[in-house]
Amino acid sequence: MNAPARKLDIFDPATYPTRRDEEWKYSDLSRALREAPKAVGLSHIQAEVADFNGFYWHCAGDGQLGGLQEAVNQAKGRLYLDMGDFGTEGEVSGYQGEGHIRLGAGESLILLEDYTGAFDYAAHTTIHFELAEGASLIRVVILDEPETATSVRRSTVKTAPDSVYKQYVFATGAAFQRFETHVDHAGHGAVVEMNGAYLLKDKAHFDYTTRVRHAEIDGVTNQLIKGLVKDRATAVFQGRILVERGADGTDARMHHQSLMLNDGARVRAKPELEIYADDVQCAHGNTIGAMDEAALFFCQSRGMDEATARALLMQAFVLPVAEQIEDETVRDMVLNWIEHKAGGFYGL
Amino acid sequence: MTMLNIENLTVAVEDKTILKGLTLNVPAGEVHAIMGPNGAGKSTLGYTLAGRPNYEVSAGSATLNGEDLLEMEVHERAAAGLYLSFQYPLEIPGVPAMTFIRTALNSQRKLRGEDEMSAPEFLKEIRAIAKTLKIDADMLKRPLNVGFSGGEKKRMEVLQMALLKPKFLILDETDSGLDIDALKVVSDGVNALRAPDRGMLVITHYQRLLDHIKPDRIHILVDGKIVHSGGPELALELEAHGYDRYVNEAA
Repeated sequence: MNAPARKLDIFDPATYPTRRDEEWKYSDLSRALREAPKAVGLSHIQAEVADFNGFYWHCAGDGQLGGLQEAVNQAKGRLYLDMGDFGTEGEVSGYQGEGHIRLGAGESLILLEDYTGAFDYAAHTTIHFELAEGASLIRVVILDEPETATSVRRSTVKTAPDSVYKQYVFATGAAFQRFETHVDHAGHGAVVEMNGAYLLKDKAHFDYTTRVRHAEIDGVTNQLIKGLVKDRATAVFQGRILVERGADGTDARMHHQSLMLNDGARVRAKPELEIYADDVQCAHGNTIGAMDEAALFFCQSRGMDEATARALLMQAFVLPVAEQIEDETVRDMVLNWIEHKAGGFYGL
Repeated sequence: MTMLNIENLTVAVEDKTILKGLTLNVPAGEVHAIMGPNGAGKSTLGYTLAGRPNYEVSAGSATLNGEDLLEMEVHERAAAGLYLSFQYPLEIPGVPAMTFIRTALNSQRKLRGEDEMSAPEFLKEIRAIAKTLKIDADMLKRPLNVGFSGGEKKRMEVLQMALLKPKFLILDETDSGLDIDALKVVSDGVNALRAPDRGMLVITHYQRLLDHIKPDRIHILVDGKIVHSGGPELALELEAHGYDRYVNEAA
């Protein structure tokens, strides 16, 4: 669905999309990555089978995405994917890989994807998900990459009737960071959620692109994306929900809310609903604003200094996304992470 | 002894002069009411004392227990003991009422050089006060004021007063949005805070609130100035004859 004409190959600059590609208008990879990164041999060592807060721990960094399905089979419903990419200083290491995860009928998985790294690298990874009837996948993605990273993370999702696919993405951006999800919605009671929160500062760039295609009846899609942008950082949200002719009973809602904390911060939002069916319920809301000064004054009038009041309100702005996470352990981890990251926003 | 002392206060909002040399003194232990027609500057007075941005003071002074309020930052005024109860308390999405109040309380304590209140101590105190105000524990966990009724918001305001223990309270149209039962709960809560070392200024449009919170003195504010002051009987006179007489005098 609207994939670039040439398949992106991180090692071939001729395949890098540019601003002239409609899908990459606000995120120009060819500018971010002027030459091909250096292909490096496998630097990553598969950890011993380990436990991470009750999760089966699997290392899949440096583009090594081959063994995902086996990890899922071992994980007993709780899988932690350690997606650490390690670059080199002064030279860009390149990583690229694809993986597949399939959940059988009625199976469920809580998947925690933790993208971290160090030094200079360019990574392009893709995970293909397939959910059978009644399967449930809760996917929580932490994009906590270094400011030097170039990172393109893509996924395709094929759902089935009565399946549940929920995605929560939390990002702090990078030199270039794009998280892309393409969903083929099966309808017939299937539920898709693609939520997210971003906290961007300095020169960080984060692009959250979601594409959902409803071709069948009675499908539900919900999206809540909230973010904070300060300094000279850029947030991009491109969301498209396509409802094909005949996909009646579709219920699709998309909400994106962003706070720009100073002049110079940028938010590019392109929400799209394309509806060809008659009997559907669709809604989208997109707001980009500044902090509510009246609320700030209210907090201060009760005794909070300005920094404390701002921090409280900023955290409060993005927390509702994390609070929706069903699993308590993961939710607490994410809430702590946000609290930690929001710390960098206190001093203005 | 005078607690709140306002002399010749002149305030403009967006280049429009609203308060035009207002003078007012409220001694410790007393409750004073300010009544006046719409647009007289009643809310402006509350906001100016609390330090709302863009309220420009061009002349006059305002002190609380001898401390210059106008020189202080907003949060410093709160820590010094000033509490403004908003006519329309703001909704704070994502911040549980309990978190909001505890953050405010401990910020004030920190500024005053006091120890923070521990979580168990805070819980014990907030639960006890919430009970007297008929606020259930669930409401304390919900984001502050989000989806609360008018009565719930005002009870939440009284809860904060009772916990923050300010020296001086300004109640801005506390009766607006309240039915008679809620008005009683809120008034009882406010009356419980009357103390020899605490002053209050009750801003209201109607006499109704003053049946419940009985003032020691009433001041009539018209066109940015106090035009008349008197005892509690003034409220009844205003209820019977309206503000016309005073409006004409001011003009």
